[in-house]
Amino acid sequence: MRLGFPARVSVLAGALVCGSALSAAADIKIGVIYDLTGPFAGGGSKAAAIGTQIAIDMINEKGGVEGHKIIPINADAQSKADVAINEAERLLNQEKVDLLMGVYSSAHCVPLAQKVDAAQKFFWANVCVASAVFKDKNLKYVFRPQVHSDQFGEASCKFLAEVAKPKMKKEVKDLKVAIIHEDGPYGVGVAQGNEEVCKELGMQVVLKEGYSASSADLSSLVTKLKRARPDVILHTGYNPDITLFLRQSREGGLRFDAMIGHGAGYGQIDKLIETFKDDVNYFYNVDPVAAQLLDAKSLKPGIGDLTAEMIKRYKAQTGVQEVPPHTSMGFNQTWIFLSDVLPRAIKKYGGFDAEALRKAALETNIPEGGTIQGYGVKFNPPGHKMAGQNALSSPVVMQYVKGETKIAWPTGLRTIDPVIPLPKGHAYAR
Amino acid sequence: MDTIFDIYLLEAIVNGVLLGGVLGLLALGLNLVFGVIDVVWICYAELVMLGMYTVYFLHVVYGVPVLLACLGAVVVVGVLGALLHYLVIRPVLQSEPINQLLVTGGVLFFLQSFATLVFGIEFRNLGLKLPILNFGEMYFSYARVLAFLVALAGMVGLYLFLTRTFLGTAIRAIAQDREIMPLMGVDSRKLYLVTSGIGGGLAGLAACLLVLQYDVHPAIGLTFGPITFMICVLGGLGNMIGGFVAAFIISQFISIGGFFFHIEWGYVIAFAFFILTMFIRPQGLFGK
Repeated sequence: MRLGFPARVSVLAGALVCGSALSAAADIKIGVIYDLTGPFAGGGSKAAAIGTQIAIDMINEKGGVEGHKIIPINADAQSKADVAINEAERLLNQEKVDLLMGVYSSAHCVPLAQKVDAAQKFFWANVCVASAVFKDKNLKYVFRPQVHSDQFGEASCKFLAEVAKPKMKKEVKDLKVAIIHEDGPYGVGVAQGNEEVCKELGMQVVLKEGYSASSADLSSLVTKLKRARPDVILHTGYNPDITLFLRQSREGGLRFDAMIGHGAGYGQIDKLIETFKDDVNYFYNVDPVAAQLLDAKSLKPGIGDLTAEMIKRYKAQTGVQEVPPHTSMGFNQTWIFLSDVLPRAIKKYGGFDAEALRKAALETNIPEGGTIQGYGVKFNPPGHKMAGQNALSSPVVMQYVKGETKIAWPTGLRTIDPVIPLPKGHAYAR
Repeated sequence: MDTIFDIYLLEAIVNGVLLGGVLGLLALGLNLVFGVIDVVWICYAELVMLGMYTVYFLHVVYGVPVLLACLGAVVVVGVLGALLHYLVIRPVLQSEPINQLLVTGGVLFFLQSFATLVFGIEFRNLGLKLPILNFGEMYFSYARVLAFLVALAGMVGLYLFLTRTFLGTAIRAIAQDREIMPLMGVDSRKLYLVTSGIGGGLAGLAACLLVLQYDVHPAIGLTFGPITFMICVLGGLGNMIGGFVAAFIISQFISIGGFFFHIEWGYVIAFAFFILTMFIRPQGLFGK
């Protein structure tokens, strides 16, 4: 059959219209990488993955982003850096995802970020915190709204400096701190921040030591701590190593005035209580705040509702009552990307390729109170020593009191008068 | 120097001895199996992991008293050891050693994935608070002391079994010559099965003591598997006394090395000693 000219024009026009309609409705494929198995899974990665999925579900239920449905292609890094990198390559080259998102462990994040950036693909980091991901790397296509490890280290020392005199009855210069950490980029990064800021504030760092997160024995570290007699222990670790350390500390007779953890395993309060019961009462944890702890009135209108919905869905899905900060991290960063960066990339820069996303990310300007974790978002520009890192993020110091999480620092956000030193009768009290 | 050689050093040494007990117990079953059947169970630590889960579920979920739960774990892992031999090892018994190694390596990944699917990724523990033993400024883990004593008892018990019973004598005989004994009417298949069951039972016993000290999760085997294997090789694969002595040597390197230097240096020194020994005595300290 031969079509006449008008018919051919009609067919062509129809094809163009259909093509345009199809491209408008094209799905956006996001490669989401978390550790769903292995030791990191139970250390907060799974909780973050659920947070991310909730955010994607909520966006899709509202019709997606600018008419595009979000399709997450989930990958399990199995708590192994090589698997994380292989999965990233598979997602980008075989699944042809439009961007990568997620990643719990800094040990995975550091190499993965450089590899993805070198391939000029877009990577939105949700949970990993090591400053080393960005420091002096001048990455172009990697962005992280999340807090970074230097800030973790800084927060605990500043908190201690504030409470030393009024609470611990000690001058700051007389305060002895020990810094212990897992020896990956996350632990090393936080410990470095701890050491720099605590020393700058005049505290005595009596011990600083790293260890492998898969170590079978930490009793010699406990013995060394007993000899060094620190007032406060600043600890950064994952889950199995934290429980091993706390168990061996108790059995080894280690005593201190305060224990300040820095996220990861210390963010899993329900697990810590299940294992140690009252022994972890009055422990501190530095982390981006779990959204449900913030007063919704201090946030922009509507943000509190987002938190409530996230909490409702997380509890329904997992059946647990205590929602860890990792859920907020996974949800919050994903929500920021889907509700702020991605729409701008599509509307202003014509799509969602790496270049459009990069330009849109660099224009992000969310003021304080504009996210469920309270902090604002504005990324350091190219050329900055932390290019791609959110300049407005900040952690808080939380204290666990009888199974509940309270905010102890910054003072303006306090929901508890911090209990320090540990009260008499506590398993670790002096 | 007077600040270095103090009560804390003594504590580190004793802690090293106690750690040696834990590692020695782990090495015992692996060495028994290799010594008799000449096959290395790369998946040995994963059997221990399943034993830890058995204790956890029996005690925490079903309310079985801890001692009975431990007995249950010894039986369950013993049966698993026998099944491992019957289903996996026996078909490849005449194959190249590398094939036997790979097949147990495959079981390792199978068991890890199986545990992840069935038990989930949660870290679980018995929630027991054991008493603390202290002598002045020195503190020791009750669980470690218990592990040390049980390891010694296990070693003595196994020695008595192998030397004082008919079955034990048969196992020793077949370990000495796997070719001749079947010609003399010994049912090697049965002996291998029994040995695998005992090896599994020892893994179950180690699981009972580890679950008092560590959280159980599907990847816990990775914490102990490599070091247990290294200890067996250092002592001389298949040599139970060698494995026991090697466990104490390695644990002292870890403990004292970690006390004097950075904690990771303890492992560096231990592995350097291992490599050096392999150059000088490739068959291991007690190997023939």
